[in-house]
Amino acid sequence: MSTMKKFHWFWAWDDEKEEAWLRQMAQEGWHFKSVSLPGSYIFEKGEAIDYVYRLDYFVDRKDMPAYLQIFEDTGWDYLGEMSGWQYFRIESHDGNAPEIYSDKASKAKKYERLILYLVIFLPIFLSMMNITSRGDAGYLRFFSFFAEAFMLLYIYAMVRLIHRVTNLKKKV
Amino acid sequence: MSINYKKYLPLTESTAYILLALAEPLHGYGVMQKVETMSQGTVKIGPGTLYGAFSTLEKEALIIKVEEAKRRKTYTLTEKGKALLKEHIRRVEILLENGLSTKDWQ
Repeated sequence: MSTMKKFHWFWAWDDEKEEAWLRQMAQEGWHFKSVSLPGSYIFEKGEAIDYVYRLDYFVDRKDMPAYLQIFEDTGWDYLGEMSGWQYFRIESHDGNAPEIYSDKASKAKKYERLILYLVIFLPIFLSMMNITSRGDAGYLRFFSFFAEAFMLLYIYAMVRLIHRVTNLKKKV
Repeated sequence: MSINYKKYLPLTESTAYILLALAEPLHGYGVMQKVETMSQGTVKIGPGTLYGAFSTLEKEALIIKVEEAKRRKTYTLTEKGKALLKEHIRRVEILLENGLSTKDWQ
């Protein structure tokens, strides 16, 4: 059976695009086999099947078995994890795309977990900025550039995710 | 029992149905099936939604875990959960009566 390695990076706020891409791959007969950081997928060639993929963000190791059991009981296949992103799959027989979150309020919580995770890491980012801004040595300026680029990305990610949550929480 | 109803109300349709289903002890899959039947197919609860609801409701002491077999947790309503559900139903009933008796908009 032939396999294919494919690199496909996605940003946290574009997780739904990643789901759609995986579904499209399956419709072309390329089925998810594994994923590892940073977005390195392995696909297996087979018959074209309309698999619907869903990505959840979940990092509670202790309660993982109970969490996975609920998905398994409702017909979802658990495929694996990439740094907190949990990959699930179910076959669609009518063209519809089943959801793992059936209302907006609960879907918002997925992104809130992500935001919380980013906030927890803020002190580490800040101390990184602090160290790199202290000296004038060439290598420090080099790191400082990366730290600043990282910080900008961090802020951008926050804005996009908060926007996502606000939209999901909008009533009516 | 004094409950700060404002903190919880109005419940989402899914949450109300999950609480209602837990009038008897059930695990996750049981809740999903019961809700779909009770709601005549109008409410289908996704696994992500259900897992999240279980942990939030348990944290708020609205439901309680009564059994944990293998990896399946069974929950049921607490007295606080019952009181909240009762208040929610009371409000929905008022809305229902208004909706049915007011003819102008129909």
